[in-house]
Amino acid sequence: MNHKAVSRRVAVSGVGAVSGLGWGIGPLWEGLRAGRTAIRPFERFDNTAHRTHLAAEAADGDSNGLASDPRWRRLLSLADRFAVFAAAEALAMAGLASLEDSEAGVFFGSSTGGMFESERFFNEFLRGRWRSAKLRDLASQQVNAPGDAVARWFGVSGPVRTISSACSSGALALGAALDAVRSGEVDVAVAGGSDSLCQLTYAGFNALRSVDEGPCRPFRAGREGMSFGEGSAVLVLEPLERVLARGAEPLAEFAGAGSACDAHHMTAPDPSGAGAAAAMEAALLDAGLPAGEVGFVNAHGTGTPLNDAAEWRALQRVFGERAGEIPLTATKALLGHLLGSSGSIEAVATVLCLRHEELHPVPTCSAGAAVDPELPVSLVLDRPLPLPGVKAAVSTSLAFGGSNAALVFSRWKDS
Amino acid sequence: MSEAPAVPNRIKRLIVESLHLEGMKPEMIEDEAPLFGEGLGLDSVDALELVVALEKEFGIKIKSQELGREVFSSVSSLSEFIEART
Repeated sequence: MNHKAVSRRVAVSGVGAVSGLGWGIGPLWEGLRAGRTAIRPFERFDNTAHRTHLAAEAADGDSNGLASDPRWRRLLSLADRFAVFAAAEALAMAGLASLEDSEAGVFFGSSTGGMFESERFFNEFLRGRWRSAKLRDLASQQVNAPGDAVARWFGVSGPVRTISSACSSGALALGAALDAVRSGEVDVAVAGGSDSLCQLTYAGFNALRSVDEGPCRPFRAGREGMSFGEGSAVLVLEPLERVLARGAEPLAEFAGAGSACDAHHMTAPDPSGAGAAAAMEAALLDAGLPAGEVGFVNAHGTGTPLNDAAEWRALQRVFGERAGEIPLTATKALLGHLLGSSGSIEAVATVLCLRHEELHPVPTCSAGAAVDPELPVSLVLDRPLPLPGVKAAVSTSLAFGGSNAALVFSRWKDS
Repeated sequence: MSEAPAVPNRIKRLIVESLHLEGMKPEMIEDEAPLFGEGLGLDSVDALELVVALEKEFGIKIKSQELGREVFSSVSSLSEFIEART
């Protein structure tokens, strides 16, 4: 490692994604702009015995030629494939054909790694169906598997780190990547998260009664919980000067990151929102931006009664009287909750909104369409909200264990 | 000779089926080609999978010390090992 002991500005030079809206940034942005939810009946596993029956499933999509590699299906879990696809797309967008001569690192978040495949193994094995119980299905179980798969696929030999801290994993991984690029530890960070649907989390959140039977309704009156999603998102981070030096245009500047813990409860958020506010304030301080310059918020917005209420209190702490005015969106209404990858795909959504100077909406839903009068946020509904000249945005991730993370991105303008 | 397929062919079919070698047919595997590293490029997870499959298919028991390079180096060496025990 070659620590240069400097603090460099950090650009987002490429993004990639897989989600219920499709494989790639194209279908993601098109769906986000349209406010079209990907939460629907799904087929990944038999869900008839579960309490709820919806998810934003990333059905097989165009793998951009990756599937022609014999390793693709044989050696990679679904979560690994999401990650490799998103990384390939992000690196191509950044114009980085190879990382082998770069000081590059991988910084990833995941909640369940290859749990879906492990469940498939045990489903066969415990029924004595040895021919269809494949040991290979256990090989990607660890949460570090998606990040490691990205490192192997692209030949990244610098630091390769996975953070698994429930639903803030993806955001915390991006924070770690930001530090590594700033400090000079790496020149290229391939950063993000990946998680696939699996029965463990599907059953677990249902047992906690934190899942809405319909598509989730963040910040709406009558909301009953989250919806599941799956996929991956990757951001390529590089020193701003390096991107400009090769004549490329940054998608955004990654200005700051912060985290703080509620130290309150295993699953419930601190209702005062103090921890979530502390994370946002830390991220703004890190970015050197006053709260007044934040043009919109991409909320964690799971749609559980407790999360959204605590998040509203946190917004009040950070933005004061502006809390009810600042435009707000909740990507989970469209993609579901990607768990360990939610922070990274919401970061990508935030970057795309800054780049296009408009905030993606959430759909009006037949049940509980009105914003909860107790949490009077300015939720953007149905149509994208134009935000010409928007300067910066905050994306939050508020996880089990009270692990709160916030990221600040600034719109790139050549000045 | 019985009408059952010869042991090497049964091994090749097991390799392709149990290891999910997409796009590979049993007859594409050479008797003497290395199974691991070079050649077919199998790894240690495949070795485990193959041991389970061979034990079931041929009703034999493969001890861990027999998992050495020699026995598992090719279809040919595996075949000799199995024929000596069935």
